[in-house]
Amino acid sequence: MLVLLGLNHRSAPVEVRERLAFTEEELDRELRKLAGHAAVHEAFILSTCNRVEILVRAEGPSAGLDAVRGFLAEHAAVTHEELDRYGYHYLGRDAVRHLFEVAGGLDSMILGEPQITGQVKRAYRAAQQAGTTGTVLEGLLRQALATTKRLRTETGISRHPVSVASAAVELAERIFGKLSGRTALLLGAGKMAALVATHLRAHGVGRVVVSSRTYNRAETLARRFDGHAANWDRSREHLERVDIVISGTGAMNQILGKDDVQRALRARRGKPLLLIDIAVPRDIDPAVNELDNAYLYDVDDLQGVVDNNMEARNQAAAAARELVTVGVDSFERWHQSLAVAPTIVSMREAVLELGRREVERFRRRLGPLTPDQDAAVQELTRAVLQKILHRPIRHLKAAAERGDLVSTTRLMQELFVPDGRGGRDGPGRGDSGDAGRRRGRGEADGSRPTADGERPAGDDDREGRGPFRALRGGKES
Amino acid sequence: MGSLWLPAALVLLVSGIFLAAVGTTYRSDSSRAASVAVFAGAWLLELLAIVRQGQGVGSLPITNLGQFLLMLSWAILTSHLVVWLRWRVQALGLVLPPIAALAAFGSLGLLPAAAATPQAGRGGWFLFHTASATVGLAILTVAFGMAVIYLVLDRLLKSKRRLNVLERLPSLDSCDRIGLLALSLGFLLLSLGIATGVVVNTNLHQRLISAELKQTSPLLAWGVFAVVLFSRSILGLRGRKSAYLTIAGFAFGLLTVLGISF
Repeated sequence: MLVLLGLNHRSAPVEVRERLAFTEEELDRELRKLAGHAAVHEAFILSTCNRVEILVRAEGPSAGLDAVRGFLAEHAAVTHEELDRYGYHYLGRDAVRHLFEVAGGLDSMILGEPQITGQVKRAYRAAQQAGTTGTVLEGLLRQALATTKRLRTETGISRHPVSVASAAVELAERIFGKLSGRTALLLGAGKMAALVATHLRAHGVGRVVVSSRTYNRAETLARRFDGHAANWDRSREHLERVDIVISGTGAMNQILGKDDVQRALRARRGKPLLLIDIAVPRDIDPAVNELDNAYLYDVDDLQGVVDNNMEARNQAAAAARELVTVGVDSFERWHQSLAVAPTIVSMREAVLELGRREVERFRRRLGPLTPDQDAAVQELTRAVLQKILHRPIRHLKAAAERGDLVSTTRLMQELFVPDGRGGRDGPGRGDSGDAGRRRGRGEADGSRPTADGERPAGDDDREGRGPFRALRGGKES
Repeated sequence: MGSLWLPAALVLLVSGIFLAAVGTTYRSDSSRAASVAVFAGAWLLELLAIVRQGQGVGSLPITNLGQFLLMLSWAILTSHLVVWLRWRVQALGLVLPPIAALAAFGSLGLLPAAAATPQAGRGGWFLFHTASATVGLAILTVAFGMAVIYLVLDRLLKSKRRLNVLERLPSLDSCDRIGLLALSLGFLLLSLGIATGVVVNTNLHQRLISAELKQTSPLLAWGVFAVVLFSRSILGLRGRKSAYLTIAGFAFGLLTVLGISF
């Protein structure tokens, strides 16, 4: 059973989240500790500034929840009451769905933000390195990341920026294309103006000139951007040489008038100029926007851009959730199909053994065979039997996808598996991942790391398949 | 079979325009990519139609209005595909191919009935004149397209509304750069076309220029484009005014087509 226990920016205050957070250094140790619990088969921990999510494949729901609660209580000295108050938990399909939504940014503070996907990838890598992922979590996380990629591409949910600073960057790119080699002038050394400049710099703006009434502040800020400070009284002269102006002073009057910008545009020989006025009261005369080749955006305009983009993201989120459902369904089908793997192995072993015995029985009648002829007979028998098995195995897998395992598995075992060989993984389990419960941990699913962190033999084969390959069927049977 | 190349090309052109519109409206990359493939198909079919016409007249098939329009349509499509390959300007798919389709449609109606230029007029100068004028006009269509996109973009940026449309358009800077390049190249070819046209006119009618639409409108277009290029390079004129002038120059260029009777 898949069990997810977590808390996030909506459910818990930062004081609680920071106590439960895992640093990168301790993640490996904590993952091993969690996976070492008797009821836990596989484990995955996602820890970011906004959330802690712990996903395990466990013996059962209550055993899994108890294991994770106990682990968290030990890790962060939180009480069970606190976890109940600030946390949430999901089981089975709901856990899968929640993980998909988290990875896709649909559960993020800023809807559709892409950073979370990178964080999920890093957490996945950490769990792999700690050896706490097995067949099921491997399949689940791969499917989650594939679905995330698909929803970002198809819905464009992350396409539009939803912060004032990144909206300013987007506008600059609509005007200038690539920003490399462009120059920005910062009027005022306030936090917001600095933030916009940071974004512009990160997007390739080559040079930043900072001008503030307090020259020292301008100089300090200019150093941050590897730019240079300019004397406030001569800041207008820079209008002729820069492409982007960000103004965020605390002045009570306008500092740039229409005439100032018009003069600058003439000197610039009509090259476009983007002016971002994030000051309140505004620093730049709104009439500047009437000038040819001057594009002025104040803080309300930028907020308008952000609001529009947010609306677009909300619309995209609805489509993204449909894709999540598709991904969850796909994972569930694959997960169900895992349940038939032992039956398939039994069927194959029984039938191939039968073939070997028959070849031995007929060997005397065939007379002396060369090694090549002997190999050819063996291969022929094997090929015929594989072909005979192909359709029943396909039928079995289809039954698994339909959730109709009980009767079909029994029928297949009656038809193909001699008494006493096919009962080790009977049908009817609600969750194929619980195979370990009957087969003994670390044995049947091949996913469980051994005490020294090594995977058992045969695990590589399983892991290489991934959810979709396993569903395709034919080859592995 | 050969006579079907042009109608088939026209069908592809219309389909490509539809796909480009769907791709732009719904931000579908697959529709946009499909539109380019369909335009490439139309380009090939038009080329086959031109070859067939060439086989009929035994030289470059640009001896009547129908053939000129066919050649113009093909040259515009070529320009569109080149711009797409080099700069991936998807929005141009809604400007250039419709003009190419109109030219192809006109060609389809005029090919059988159009009067041919007298054999005496089909000399090397004539072919050079018509070829350079046709290619020049096709390249100026790119300048026109970029000017239109520039104005749409400028209006959206100024109005600060529906800014999400911007992602479907190239940047202002790209419009300006590609437009200027097309304008410079088109202007050069137009100048050559006019110069050789004077030679052809002198040979045929013993005068430098006639007071006909097909001879006065290219001069007007040339004048407008010369003003745009001069003011751009000497006075630094850019932006909306430059875009409006480019559109005006292109309109004069189109008047030339209306005046062509061969």
